[in-house]
Amino acid sequence: MLRSVKKMFRSNYLFTLGVIICLLWILAAILAPLLAPCDPVAQDLTLRLKPPSATHLFGTDNFGRDIFSRVIYGGRYSLLAGCLTVVIAGCIGTFYGAVAGYVGGLADNVMMRISEMILAFPSLILAMIINAVLGSNLFNTMFALVIVAWPTYARLMRSVVLSVKENEYVTASEALGASRFRILLKEIIPNSISSVLIMATTDIGNQILMFSTLSFLGLGSAPPTPEWGMMVSDGVDYFNKFWVAGFPGLAIFTMAVGANFIGDGLRDLLDPKLRKQF
Amino acid sequence: MKKRYLAAVLSAVLVMSCTACGGGQDNNASAGGTEESTEGAQSSGSSTVVVAMGSGFATVDPGYVYEKYPPLIVNACYENLFKFYDNDSAPEPCLADSYEFSEDNLTLTVKLKEGITFASGNPMTSADVLFSINRCKNLQGNPSFIADTIESMEAPDEQTIVFHLTQEDSAILSKLTYSALAILDSAVVKENGGTDAEDAATTDTAQAYLDSTSAGSGMYVMTSYIPDEEVVLEKNPNYWGEATNVDKYIIKIQPDSNTQMMTLSTGDIDVALNMTDDTMAELAGAENIGIINGATKTVGFVMMNMKEEYSGPVSNPKVQQAIRKALDYSGFQIICGEGTLTPYSVIQSGFMGSKGERATDYTNLEEAKALLAEAGYADGFDVDLTVSDLDMEGILLTDLAQKVKDDLSQVGINVNIVSQPWAAGYGDAYRDGTLGFTVMYWGTDYNDPNVQLEFLPGAVVGLRAGWSEEMNPELAALYQETMAATDNDARIAVLEQVQDAMYEDGPFIMIAQAPAHIGYNSRLDGVAISDPYALDVTLINIK
Repeated sequence: MLRSVKKMFRSNYLFTLGVIICLLWILAAILAPLLAPCDPVAQDLTLRLKPPSATHLFGTDNFGRDIFSRVIYGGRYSLLAGCLTVVIAGCIGTFYGAVAGYVGGLADNVMMRISEMILAFPSLILAMIINAVLGSNLFNTMFALVIVAWPTYARLMRSVVLSVKENEYVTASEALGASRFRILLKEIIPNSISSVLIMATTDIGNQILMFSTLSFLGLGSAPPTPEWGMMVSDGVDYFNKFWVAGFPGLAIFTMAVGANFIGDGLRDLLDPKLRKQF
Repeated sequence: MKKRYLAAVLSAVLVMSCTACGGGQDNNASAGGTEESTEGAQSSGSSTVVVAMGSGFATVDPGYVYEKYPPLIVNACYENLFKFYDNDSAPEPCLADSYEFSEDNLTLTVKLKEGITFASGNPMTSADVLFSINRCKNLQGNPSFIADTIESMEAPDEQTIVFHLTQEDSAILSKLTYSALAILDSAVVKENGGTDAEDAATTDTAQAYLDSTSAGSGMYVMTSYIPDEEVVLEKNPNYWGEATNVDKYIIKIQPDSNTQMMTLSTGDIDVALNMTDDTMAELAGAENIGIINGATKTVGFVMMNMKEEYSGPVSNPKVQQAIRKALDYSGFQIICGEGTLTPYSVIQSGFMGSKGERATDYTNLEEAKALLAEAGYADGFDVDLTVSDLDMEGILLTDLAQKVKDDLSQVGINVNIVSQPWAAGYGDAYRDGTLGFTVMYWGTDYNDPNVQLEFLPGAVVGLRAGWSEEMNPELAALYQETMAATDNDARIAVLEQVQDAMYEDGPFIMIAQAPAHIGYNSRLDGVAISDPYALDVTLINIK
C-alpha cells in the first residue's frame, strides 16, 4: 500500500498537485497569524475598495480590510467546517449504510426510509431550518451540514455493501463462525470503503460551498468573521471590483479542485481494478 | 473501439449543436439590437420618455396602492386634494382650492377647485371625493390605514367636503396626498364594478378595470399595464391644468441596476430609478447623462433597549450617550454611498420641521470614554448586537452592524454580532421589544414628519426599545401636542422640541438616511428624487 502511494505521487501528478494545494491551504490556515500582514477585521475606510497593490496583495474590501489577510484567516473556518463535516457525516453514513445493507430485510427498509426522509428535503432549506432553530454559530452550522450530508454516504455505502456481502470471502467467514459484527468490521466495511472515501474527498469542496452559502444567508459565522463564502457574497455588490469576490472565490475554487484531485487519485489507488496500472 | 466511434460521433454532434445554438443566439442578439436601437432612437428623438423602475407590486388600482413604485403611475394619472409639489416641503392644495380646520381641530373643511374635469370629460365634484376616500377605506386593503383618522365625511354642496376626524391629526393633509386617496371618476368606476359601500372589500370589482386603464383627472391616462413588465401612459387630452411637453411615458418595470445603467448609456431608457452607488460610478463623466445622488427618508438606526434584562449595560443612559458619541457618522455615509445623510435627530432631513443634519464632528471618542467611565464601565464591556438579514434600500444591515462593532471597539466596547434572520425570530423579537441592542431601519409609511413620532416613549417603536410613557412623560406628551398642531409654524416648533430632546438622549441613534441614485438623459428637465411618488413625472419636461 505504502509503496503504491509513493508510486502514485510519482506517476499521478494531478494527485500530487491536489495534495500540495490542500497542504498549502492547511499550512496557511495554521500559520495565519504569522503569514497575514494585517488584522483581518481591522477597518480603514480611507482604503476602501482599493485594487491589489504591493501593500494589499489582494486589494481591500468595502470596509478597507485587507483581503489577503482575510483569505488566509478564512481558511481556518472554511477548511474546518468542510473537513470536519465530511469526516463526521462520512463516519455516521458509512456505519449506518453498512449495517442497513448487511443486515437487510425489515431493518434495511426502515433505516433507508429514514435516511430518504432527510434526503427528500431540499438540503439547503433543511440546513437553514436546523440552523435557524438552534441559532447560528460555527458549531450549529456544522451540525446542520452533517445532518444534511450523512444520508448520501449511507445510501452509497449500502449499495456497495449489497454486492460486497455476496462475495465468497464473506460466506467463508460466516462458515468459519465469525460474528456478524466482526464480519461487518473486518470484511464488509474495508472492502466497501473506497467509494465512500472518494466521495468524501470530492465532497469537501461541496461542503465548503454549502457552508459559504449558509454564511451568506446569515446562518453561518457572524460578520466580520473572514469566511470565504461570506467574502464572495460581500463582493457580489461590487461587480466591477473583481478582487473583492475574486480572491476568496479563487480560494474556494483551488481548495475544491485540490480536494477533487485527491479524490480521483484515491480512487485510482483504492480501486482494485485500476491498481495494476501502478 | 465501438465506444470510441460513439464518443467521436457524440462529440461531433455536440460541437455542431453548440455552434448552431451560437449562431441562433447571434441572430437573436442582432435582431434584438436593432429593435432596441430603433426604440432608443424613438425615445431620444421624440416626446416619449422611457423610465425604468423597480418591481414589487401587482396592481395600480389606487385603492390598493401601498408599495413604493405604483405612486409614480397614480400621481401621473390621478390627482389628490393635496400634493407635494416639492419633495422637502409641506403639502399644498391640488384639487382642493382652500381648506380650514375648526377650532377644536376635529373638523376639516375643504373647498374644491372649480372647472376640473376627469379624462372622461366628467366634471369633478365632492361626490367623487366621497366615493374615492370611502372606497379606499372600505376596501380594507393595505393602504386603508391611511384613512383611519377620518371618522366620516359629508358634502354640503358640490364644491365642499367636510371631514370629521376621530382625533386631532396634524398629518391629515399629508395623508390626503397619499396615492391610495387619489380622486377617482366615480361615474366611470361605478360603471365598471366599483363601489364605496361598507362591504366594498368583497363587492368591489373595479380592480381589473383600473389595471387596464386609469379613471382620474391627472396629466396622463394609463393605456396599458402588463404586470412586472411595462406601463404605458399617454397624455390626457382633457387635462384641466397646464401639461408638460412629454406626450408619452413608457415605464419599464426592470429593477436591475446594471441593466438600467447599460440601457441608460445606450439611450434606450431616459430615467433609471434603481441605480446603485457602484453603477453610478460607471456613469461618471458619461456625456448626456445627469446623475442625482440624494437622501431618501428611509433611515437606519441603532436601538438600545431601555430594559436592563435585555440589553445589560447598554440600557444605561450614560452608555447610550457614549455610544452616540463613539459612532463615526461620516464613516457610515461612506459605506452607504454618495447622497447619504445623517439626520440631526429623530426626524429625517427633508421633512417639514427637520433640524437638518447632525454635524459629523459630533463624534468624540474622548468624551465617549469619559461617559463610559462615569457610567462605571471605564474598561468597556462585552455586548451582543443582534442583526437581521434585511437590507435598507440595498445596504445590508450587517454592513452597518460591522461598522458599529468597529467604532465601538475604539472605546473598549467589544461587540459580538449575532445574525438572526427576520423570519426566524428577529421580526417577532423586534416587535415584542425583547431585542437588547440592534441595528434596524425604518421606512416611512407616508410622507409626513408625524410618522417619526412613533419613536417617542410609549409609542409603537419606542415600546420596542422598552421605552414606556412613564420613563419620560414630558417627551411622551409631545406626541399629542404635535398631532394637535395643525398650524405649520406651531407644528415646526413642537417637532423641533422633539428633535432637541432626542439629540443626545434616548434609546435610538439615527445613523444614516439611505441614498437614492437616479441616472437620467440630460435632454430632460425636472428629474428629481421624490419620496411620495418615486419620481414626479408631471414635473418633467424635454429641453
